[in-house]
Amino acid sequence: MLDVERIRRDFPILCRQVHGKPLVFLDSAASSQKPLQVLAAMEETYRQCYANVHRGVYTLSEEATCSYEEARDKVASFINARAREEIIFTRNTTESINLVAYTWGRTHIGPGDRILLTEMEHHSNIVPWQLLAQEKGAELVYLPITDEGFLDLDRLDDLLDERVKLVAFTMMSNVLGTIIPVKEIVEKAHQVGAIALVDGAQAVPHMPVDVQDLGCDFLAFSGHKMCGPTGIGVLYGREELLEEMPPFLGGGDMIRRVELDHSTWNDLPWKFEAGTPAIVEGIGLGAAVDYLTEIGMEAIAAHEQEVVAYAMERLSALPGLKIVGPPAEHRGGVIAFTFRNIHPHDLAHLLDLEGIAVRAGHHCAQPLHRRLGLVATTRASFYLYNTSEEADRLAEALEKVARIVGK
Amino acid sequence: MSDLYKEHILDHYANPRNWGRLDSPDIAADADDPSCGDQVHLEIDLDSDGRVAQVAFEGEGCIISMASTSLFTEYIKGKTIAELEAISEEDVLRVLDAPVGSGRRRCALTPLRALQAGLRKYRRRAQGDD
Ligand SMILES: Cc1ncc(COP(=O)(O)O)c(C=O)c1O
Repeated sequence: MLDVERIRRDFPILCRQVHGKPLVFLDSAASSQKPLQVLAAMEETYRQCYANVHRGVYTLSEEATCSYEEARDKVASFINARAREEIIFTRNTTESINLVAYTWGRTHIGPGDRILLTEMEHHSNIVPWQLLAQEKGAELVYLPITDEGFLDLDRLDDLLDERVKLVAFTMMSNVLGTIIPVKEIVEKAHQVGAIALVDGAQAVPHMPVDVQDLGCDFLAFSGHKMCGPTGIGVLYGREELLEEMPPFLGGGDMIRRVELDHSTWNDLPWKFEAGTPAIVEGIGLGAAVDYLTEIGMEAIAAHEQEVVAYAMERLSALPGLKIVGPPAEHRGGVIAFTFRNIHPHDLAHLLDLEGIAVRAGHHCAQPLHRRLGLVATTRASFYLYNTSEEADRLAEALEKVARIVGK
Repeated sequence: MSDLYKEHILDHYANPRNWGRLDSPDIAADADDPSCGDQVHLEIDLDSDGRVAQVAFEGEGCIISMASTSLFTEYIKGKTIAELEAISEEDVLRVLDAPVGSGRRRCALTPLRALQAGLRKYRRRAQGDD
């Protein structure tokens, strides 16, 4: 059991009022709030030991380098990577996926090859592959979803053959909330010789993730969704793959030796980190990992499960409210819904006036919404600091909205 | 609950004015926003003096975009092409008479985007006729 009252005290923003009402923040799937521990680690760095990292021979630079590289170790152990060399710092999930598309993709994908995605992907796990496929004459194939919002795994064997070189899929849908059986898909991908990239943007912040257990080749996630700052993300890659991949961006830090007409590359992980990195953000992510680890990812997942089950029960009792996606026991902390004929933008706006922050739109998953026959949904998403009382506030506010604009 | 969802806005949403289609409109155009699904089809008939004689619209979308379009259709009746071309974003917001803020400005301006697309087509056709 989480001590949510104590956790909430770590997040100063949660004391805020919005339109005269206490803030109910239900948009952590888009970006989470930050605890004092993360803010303090970042401020401490700027106040005490800020300097550019790597190659500095003076104290400040050594200290900053040490904290930044320590953050990498923390991330590596958080997802149980075999080695720190497998943790590449990027800006976010989107950049991590693009890095794989531009480097591994450009050297391994050719005409007629297939990339298998799913119908529930975020645009950031679709568009980079479209760009790659267009450039290389490769083909995108989509694993469909069922009407209940699960992946149609019965179709997986049909779609997986030797033409498939890469399978890229999310570990948890940011709209349906569905938790995906990653191991099973990874195993099947490997059987046909494909590699597996997992979009962990929604999973890593919310549940235990162990890359060795999952067996995936790449895992992408964002710091800002897991109590860390914006501007820092992670690409985990298996060392053998990273070793033979060409670099992504060229510049300082990623090189060993620069001649006039060519260069040689730095060791992993720096080979993929050109230019001055997000130093303080990296350190902030390290603090976020410490924070989550201390509370425990199992406990966080269990808490979210409980709040979501309660919220689903409350919401589905409202006349005209339809939740998309599977039952609570198969999902993470995300509930997307439609409510009567009220447009999601109006709904989000009216809820904001009650102090409740939810997101409205297609949540960067237009193909999924098209598949669901919807243009947009309203999404409430929950994290370690959300409570069942906040689910009550949401349900009560929705009743009020229905009274005002019930058409 | 809010100044934005005032009575006149909710009324125009629930009972849109000038709803439907015209037989052979002089100006017709769509505005749509794939990000939120707002969709408006606007049609205009001009009289012999070149003034807006009839307006009709159909569409689907949020309360703000639908109410704004409904109010807009009343506002543009009797205007000349030159007057239509001169309508600014601020004019549309004044007609709507509600505090949209930056977040919903795009919804409120949906009818103006439809009108401007219609005027562009109208001008192209007029030039083609010359
Ligand atoms: C499933 C999923 N993948 C990828 C992303 C993209 O994350 P970022 O915007 O941090 O790159 C998100 C965030 O919205 C997401 O939910």
